[in-house]
Amino acid sequence: MELLADVALLPGEERVIDKDIIYICPFGRAQKGKVFITNYRLYFKSTDADLVVTLNVPLGVICRVEKMGGASSRGENSYGLDITCKDMRNLRFALKQEGHSRRDIFDILFRYAFPLSHGRPLFAYQSQEKYEENGWSVYKPMEEFRRQGLPNGKWRITFINKTYELCDTYPTILAVPFKATEEDLRRVSAFRSRGRIPVLSWIHRENQAVITRCSQPLVGMSGKRNKDDERYLDLVREANGTSRLTIFDARPNVNAVANKATGGGYEGDEYQNSELVFLDIHNIHVMRESLKKLKDIVYPNVEESHWLSSLESTHWLEHIKMVLSGAIRVADKVSSGKSVVVHCSDGWDRTAQLSSLAMLMLDSHYRTLRGFQVLIEKEWIRFGHKFASRIGHGDKNHADQDRSPIFVQFIDCVWQMTKQRFQFPTAFEFNEHLLVTILDHLYSCRFGTFLFNCESTRDEHEVRSKTVSLWSYVNSGSDSYLNPFYTPESGRVLYPVASMRHLELWVTYYIRWNPRIRQQQRSPVEQRYKELLALRDEYLRKLEELQLSDSSSSSHLSNSSPPDTSSPAASNPSQQHTHLHTQF
Amino acid sequence: MLTGSKTTFKVRQMAPDVTERMLSQSGLNSRSREMFGLRCLPGECVLQRAVLVRKKLSAREGGGWLAGTLFCTHFRVAFVPQESPKPDENCDPVLLGDHDVALASIEKVVAVGPSRTKLVTPNSSLKFTPEELVLYCRDLRVICFLFDRLTPDTQAVEITYTIAKTYQPLKPGSVLSLQNAALGSVEMKQFLSNRRRDAHMNWFESAEDWEQELERCSASGWRVTAVNDRFEMSTSLPTLNVVPQKVLDTELKKTFAHFNEGRIPRWCWRHPRGSDLLRMSSFQNNIYHEKDDVRNLELILFGSQSSLCVVVDLTEEMPSPTDIQLAHSRLRALCLGDISASVSVPDDKWLSTLEGTHWLDYSRCCLRKAAEASCLLRSGHLTVALQEPEDRDLSCLVSSLVQVMCDPHCRTRAGFQGLVQKEWVMSGHRFYSRVNYHRDSDKEEAPVFLLFLDCVWQLWSQYPSRFQLTDDFLLALHDSVHLPLFCSFLANCQRERCKRTQHLSQSYTPVNGWRDVLPRVSSLDPSDPPLPPVWDWDLQYTRQRLASFTQPITPTPPLPSLPNGNLNTNQDALRPSDSVPGSVFLLSRGSFSCPSSLLPWRGGSAGVYKKSHRRAPSSESLPGLERLLKACALTEPPQGLTSSSSSSMGPQGPLDPYEPLLPLLLGPCIGVWKECYLRGALHAQAFSHPVSANQPHPVEKLAWEVQRLREKLAQASAAATDVQPLAKRAEPQRRTDSNFNQNTNNGTFLFPASRPQGLGVTRAVPPPLTSAHPQASRPAPPSRPSHRDHGGNNKHTFLFGHPSAAEARSEQRYYPGPGNGPKLSKNNRPSVGS
Repeated sequence: MELLADVALLPGEERVIDKDIIYICPFGRAQKGKVFITNYRLYFKSTDADLVVTLNVPLGVICRVEKMGGASSRGENSYGLDITCKDMRNLRFALKQEGHSRRDIFDILFRYAFPLSHGRPLFAYQSQEKYEENGWSVYKPMEEFRRQGLPNGKWRITFINKTYELCDTYPTILAVPFKATEEDLRRVSAFRSRGRIPVLSWIHRENQAVITRCSQPLVGMSGKRNKDDERYLDLVREANGTSRLTIFDARPNVNAVANKATGGGYEGDEYQNSELVFLDIHNIHVMRESLKKLKDIVYPNVEESHWLSSLESTHWLEHIKMVLSGAIRVADKVSSGKSVVVHCSDGWDRTAQLSSLAMLMLDSHYRTLRGFQVLIEKEWIRFGHKFASRIGHGDKNHADQDRSPIFVQFIDCVWQMTKQRFQFPTAFEFNEHLLVTILDHLYSCRFGTFLFNCESTRDEHEVRSKTVSLWSYVNSGSDSYLNPFYTPESGRVLYPVASMRHLELWVTYYIRWNPRIRQQQRSPVEQRYKELLALRDEYLRKLEELQLSDSSSSSHLSNSSPPDTSSPAASNPSQQHTHLHTQF
Repeated sequence: MLTGSKTTFKVRQMAPDVTERMLSQSGLNSRSREMFGLRCLPGECVLQRAVLVRKKLSAREGGGWLAGTLFCTHFRVAFVPQESPKPDENCDPVLLGDHDVALASIEKVVAVGPSRTKLVTPNSSLKFTPEELVLYCRDLRVICFLFDRLTPDTQAVEITYTIAKTYQPLKPGSVLSLQNAALGSVEMKQFLSNRRRDAHMNWFESAEDWEQELERCSASGWRVTAVNDRFEMSTSLPTLNVVPQKVLDTELKKTFAHFNEGRIPRWCWRHPRGSDLLRMSSFQNNIYHEKDDVRNLELILFGSQSSLCVVVDLTEEMPSPTDIQLAHSRLRALCLGDISASVSVPDDKWLSTLEGTHWLDYSRCCLRKAAEASCLLRSGHLTVALQEPEDRDLSCLVSSLVQVMCDPHCRTRAGFQGLVQKEWVMSGHRFYSRVNYHRDSDKEEAPVFLLFLDCVWQLWSQYPSRFQLTDDFLLALHDSVHLPLFCSFLANCQRERCKRTQHLSQSYTPVNGWRDVLPRVSSLDPSDPPLPPVWDWDLQYTRQRLASFTQPITPTPPLPSLPNGNLNTNQDALRPSDSVPGSVFLLSRGSFSCPSSLLPWRGGSAGVYKKSHRRAPSSESLPGLERLLKACALTEPPQGLTSSSSSSMGPQGPLDPYEPLLPLLLGPCIGVWKECYLRGALHAQAFSHPVSANQPHPVEKLAWEVQRLREKLAQASAAATDVQPLAKRAEPQRRTDSNFNQNTNNGTFLFPASRPQGLGVTRAVPPPLTSAHPQASRPAPPSRPSHRDHGGNNKHTFLFGHPSAAEARSEQRYYPGPGNGPKLSKNNRPSVGS
């Protein structure tokens, strides 16, 4: 028990088992120590006195657990467990070859890491954490619409999906063209994959251009048409007098064509006054394989000499570039006053990436700490990005074809944008730490925020009443997520540079487990800022002391300057300025 | 690429009447050097100008376009923004304004028309009116001007022609004419000859300079020798060299013959823990080793240490100059993305193409070699001798890189300048041939110095807060290399440099004098302009630019004072008792060996030297050495893999200041110096952000704030002592001040190379705290208003100009809250907006 003293258990967290174990650290020698498993985490601490190694892994991070070696296998450390994690690392433990030491721990890990496969609740439902703020109220749809100036003469709010009958993966409150009747919406939903009709995500305050999102039209092999859908898109176009509506299809052209075979497709020439643009972003399977390749080259060992070509062969940065440049095109259209429609196949993966990134570029509100939370809640969670299927919370089926790091890719794109803040440091209120925290809790199952696929299932499982929101946790200790250089401004559009020459691998996330890559909690720039602040305070204090002790001589100071400052610096205007300041 | 020029025929000759084309001839009226708003150098002529031109600003400059007037003179292409303040007539001439580029830096001129682009050469003609003018520069800048519809067509055509005609690819004659265009006027010569050298840096020209360095490093056992005074011992070595005290000049003279080009082992630097860094060329093998010679050779190689010497071989695993040249030319081609060239690298192949240049690999090699040497040095009491066949390329690079890693002083601007002066300029790096100014040494061309700057940048980007100099300084130095105006770079060694200056100072030219020796500089005649050193930054750049060369406040913690300036705490480790030269190891490919042929005089015929004695210590110290190298490989012991409780200070936090900054060499840790190599990437969209674009980084603002407070504090305390002459508070402060100066080897940032001790003069009145900062090297920050900075240009008026609401708010962040010294903040606040 004494080992647990240095890890504070969460309210609701309970110890399940502890065991002597050897951690086969890939960055050094094997570490003897103790492992503790609770219903929330796996915690390891080495018993080595000189160099303490600890591991603190939420069970939700675990993707698969496998036994390695058998009871009869030879060699040291050959009998143990191999744990694959979702956050770019693998853990290997060795056990003593006696009794059934491995079976116990394997069974427990398997049961607690994949509760849903064993009919057990996720930890988020067991957690007793309490926070001052209720993160579930960070995003209020009506408030957000009102902030954007909606409803107005052209756009109205509809409650048609109150009981999820129009579309079971959409939120309850939607913004649609004013002229579209409820009946129109129903008819359009019949022609859109899974009923995900075009609805408004964001409206430009000045030029009234909008970003609308939807799924693909159900054109099929026969090339079906739907007059209502065509008229509906024309209403979207009409709302701000856009001459040609731009429909961004996130997929590569061939994929869109291939989708016709399964009843999907894309908008053809029958859609008058519109243009269709393919953005060439690949599907979830391609992204999954790309990140898998990336993991292969960053964990555990990182190459020296052929690093760049290895990195290139993963195509991860190229995919990032395609997503970012797609979002730039969307944002650019909108800021020039043209309304756009964004969709992919189902409108919950690439569409969410494009709309949310474009909104991040267009609207400085989303670059604040709370605004960013609103953005994720609005475009990802409420609009039914299938977090449960993509992440596989508590599911033992690690090879599920639905898994894909789409949200990780989005956060990476955001990081790329904030990264360019080293030149332009004041644009984002939040920092890298927030992004890493979000990704950590994307998997951890400690909070309810990223659980389940859509609003209707979330309601079913009473997520908002039975679990805690990640934003409760973040907003209760928000200082560490703030960028000290942030300067609020209701600025212009923020375009990142989407070129391979300027994109970088997010080393401090993807390679953070490598001890050789320094774990910089704070960037050196922020570090320096803190040091300077301390130095400033010290000088101010000293000045004040001087001022108090020498108050009798204060009259001297203003006209007697020290002899040496008569050199060039004294003629410097700012130096004189300093003199003006210093009237003690 | 040049095919275009061959196919075009000359439509017309450019205006032959030269006097007509010279729109202005300044210098006649010396007091008014302004021509059409351009502040000319004395004697500089405006050949052509075009109005209503827009210059594309780089992301660093804030992006977007800047309207103004474009000029072409004999020396530069200048751009004067419309709203720039009226130039001050009385200030000293500055060679290049913020938007200017010297003709010598231009490599290619490309005109972009409505439907085509064309490479413009001196002989080619244009058949269209250019809409854009793109200048590709040798320093990897790409400067792009856009002609407005309102720009008269003739002006657009004429200035394109003029630039193409005047810039000319460099050749011996054009270098000289360029030097004359910039520095050749009587006024300019006078001005240059009256300039004072930067007294804050060590120039390593006099014996005092070297002695000061020995003192700074507390390097006892060494002396400065003038045995090469007339370059008789070695033509490429400087006149002054540092050798062991034990070796007399007469003995020393005999050793030169044993080394290639006579470049004997010379002292470079001493680590505070007592190890010495030496460099030398390869041994001459075909020479008979006399008994006495052997003793002296051993003495100069072991230096003041007696036990252990590690020879670091700089040929294994290191790029050759040819490799470096090839890598750099590939990098150039890749980064410039030349629009006039038909092939450009597709974006998705950027990473592998970049890897294929090997430039980053070579940076990594050099960093690794320097890191290995640094790790050996920190053990104390051994001699590390860098050996390169010629000792004029990579040994310059590695020896200076080791010092940047180990010596905080070398990370200040003044210290770094001294370092370059010591290890490159004086010790004979062949800048002249390697940079290939005259385009006549193509085979020798190799940007070894630029590779060094890249390595320093890699270190800087991994440990930015451990440097006082900034990446902007490195960039300025990078660009200056391409400008054939500086004596620092325009010679291959001190001897050549001396010839030139002696030559200039002589009243007559001996008929068969220097020319025989130096055909290269035969075109010199006494009227050639005196060339300034590159370190005369005031001459090159505006004060705003200079301000960004250093961080105003360097966050290094004050160093603990060292008894005798030495950190010799563990003297026992590798030190046998007797003073007989001991074991020598060769470090090559990351491991130590002891080949019998390492020292030619020890093997075979000359093996008279106490053979039996040597074996024992060799085998003992080998594991010790290997442990040292391992420490280099595992710079940071793996901390808790998940928790980072111990890293509250961070890797940047206060550490032992003498711990070397060991670079991370993993693939993702070696990056591209984008601010330098990708400046010209025209396809990059500008990331225009209205608030931040033209403002200093908040950290910079805060740093200047702290700097001002420090000055204020110094004034206040100085004033306090004026009133109470024997005030107790100020007295100890002064004493520590002078202690610092005596103890110069602690290399603190706060007192970079101030030299009162070296000059042997104790000032009557010790300066207050601020005066220890080199005033000259700390010009006005970019945010400070200067007299010529008024007007609508809100670029540099952040702190005191026209504070907007946002500015005022962020300003308040720096002042204490009401609870924390209300009186002070009351005094401060009104002045913010004044």
